[in-house]
Amino acid sequence: MPTAVRSEPLVTARSLVKRYGSVPVLDDVSFTVNPGVTGLLGANGAGKTTILGMILGLHPADGGELDVLGHNPWKAGRQVRTRIGYAPEHHTLPPDLRAAEFVKHVAELHGLPPDEATTRASDALWLVDLGEERFRPMGTMSTGQRQRVKLAQAIAHDPEFVLLDEPTDGLDPTQRDVMLDLIRHISEDFGITVVLSSHLIDEVERVCDGAIIIGEGRTLASGTIEELKGGDGVGVALELDAGDEAIDRFVTELQRLPGLMVEGDSRHLHVSRNDGVDSTTSSDVLVAVRDGCADHGIGIVRLERRRLRLEDVFLRSTQ
Amino acid sequence: MTTGETTGDISSPGFEPGSGTVLEAGSDARIYDQGFRRYDGPRTGLDGALRSLVKHSLRQALGLGRSARYKLVPLPIVAMAFIPATGMIAMAALIPVGTEQFLPTYAEYYGTVAAAIYLFAGLIAPELLCTDQRTGMLGVYLASPIDRPRYLLGKAVAVFLLLLVITLGPPLLMLIAFTLQSQGPDGLVQWLEVLFRIVASSAVIGVLYGAVGMAISATTDRRVVATAAILSMIPGSAIVTDILVGDGGLPDWLRLFNVMFLPRALVFRIHEERGGWSVLDNPTWTLWLAFAAWLVVCIGWIWFRYRRLLVRR
Repeated sequence: MPTAVRSEPLVTARSLVKRYGSVPVLDDVSFTVNPGVTGLLGANGAGKTTILGMILGLHPADGGELDVLGHNPWKAGRQVRTRIGYAPEHHTLPPDLRAAEFVKHVAELHGLPPDEATTRASDALWLVDLGEERFRPMGTMSTGQRQRVKLAQAIAHDPEFVLLDEPTDGLDPTQRDVMLDLIRHISEDFGITVVLSSHLIDEVERVCDGAIIIGEGRTLASGTIEELKGGDGVGVALELDAGDEAIDRFVTELQRLPGLMVEGDSRHLHVSRNDGVDSTTSSDVLVAVRDGCADHGIGIVRLERRRLRLEDVFLRSTQ
Repeated sequence: MTTGETTGDISSPGFEPGSGTVLEAGSDARIYDQGFRRYDGPRTGLDGALRSLVKHSLRQALGLGRSARYKLVPLPIVAMAFIPATGMIAMAALIPVGTEQFLPTYAEYYGTVAAAIYLFAGLIAPELLCTDQRTGMLGVYLASPIDRPRYLLGKAVAVFLLLLVITLGPPLLMLIAFTLQSQGPDGLVQWLEVLFRIVASSAVIGVLYGAVGMAISATTDRRVVATAAILSMIPGSAIVTDILVGDGGLPDWLRLFNVMFLPRALVFRIHEERGGWSVLDNPTWTLWLAFAAWLVVCIGWIWFRYRRLLVRR
């Protein structure tokens, strides 16, 4: 198993199409998964789990191309699945089974010899802070502990990348922080690429290097988090000190300029390009605002580049 | 390898257990670092995965590695199958001559423990198949190198081996014990012949009830429903065929659908003994044909169900 850090994409999808019967689930989905942590973001039912299933080679594509670790996963599913770890979304693991035995068994299924599987199951459970709990039946564990068992079984056989389906589902804020830290730790310290499927934007923004936003069966946006948020910013955030009349004239003049969009109340404004996320135009906006304020004698209390949150990107993409 | 050696002074501030950090040699101390790290050791491939699946299934069905309550049902059933055999061995030891007059033959032994065989058949296939569907383990298996045909193969092997425990174990124990008590078959050839008949009989019963159990278990993810269906179907087939043929006047070959007596009839044929059931009125080849037909139907149904089964992930 190669342990060197890869630089090329682990997964490349081009115009993927998937239907269940006559119901289209994915229609023209394209993305790449690069080393690091990638968030697969979309509302419930957007097709995230279907994409994970296709990456695992469990469903054939009805159109388009999918390359996983250099293979077509539908044709070479076994080779692909040997090198991937997967943590399912559901929590109903066998209640009578001890965590260590479960993790060991999954490691053996991925080809580890029994002795090695025993050792690595223990190591993986210690890593997720379940070392002391590893001989407990999973039915006696909390949701947070079961989520960590699922993470441990996904990494115990040392995959090249892991697919985590809603790994923070059912966790309280403290447990969620622990899980997100673990995910970051696995990626940064062990070089295991993580695909994190989630409908929670803030956790994707917090731990992911890149994101793929899926909606209505299409890729709405994809790229690094910085790219999605507009690189060096989109437009400016302003706090002004002037009378309403002067501000109204200023706003009217800005709106007359081609391609500019002004939002906000009277003294707190956001000025940006109205042609979407474009990191190269922030300086143009800054110049327009500076000149307009000077022309109308408006005092500037605060002027800063406005950075999008991933939520803004998601909402814009889904509108 | 996952267990590496870290040399150095454990009191050094730079030493972190589990970090995988290799310290500069400062003393003769050797520390076996147990921390998680990348793995570049050997892999067993698909054969190892299948072995693990079978082993795990055997442990699951017998409740091994689980709390006592998971052993409460399977282990007493196994005991039920062995108790008559040990009793017969004890009688043979106490009464050294003439025991063959009152002890059941090898072929008749399966009738003595029929209840245990039916109960075990009704227990293990639902435990192995329905539980995997219900707990999401099937999704975990299919996300590994194991695909659906290999999953079913692994489960079938496990079901068959488990049934062999109670179909092969007791007669084999009797054969060995009787031989040691000088009451076994005369000569090596006869001994091997009896051994072959015992193994073949056990395999016939194991394969047929294993296939029927798996087919019914493939139909539902509810273990109790599957168990009830298996335990109803085995005697139910005997009742229905008796009514159809005996009272309804339908052709005698319909008795071949009697899954309760078909395998035991085959056991009598294998041991070349006579039995008292009407299913034995049919020629031997029809018994084997019915056996094969049952297998084809059960395997076909299992594959049909699993090929289409939506897996929870």
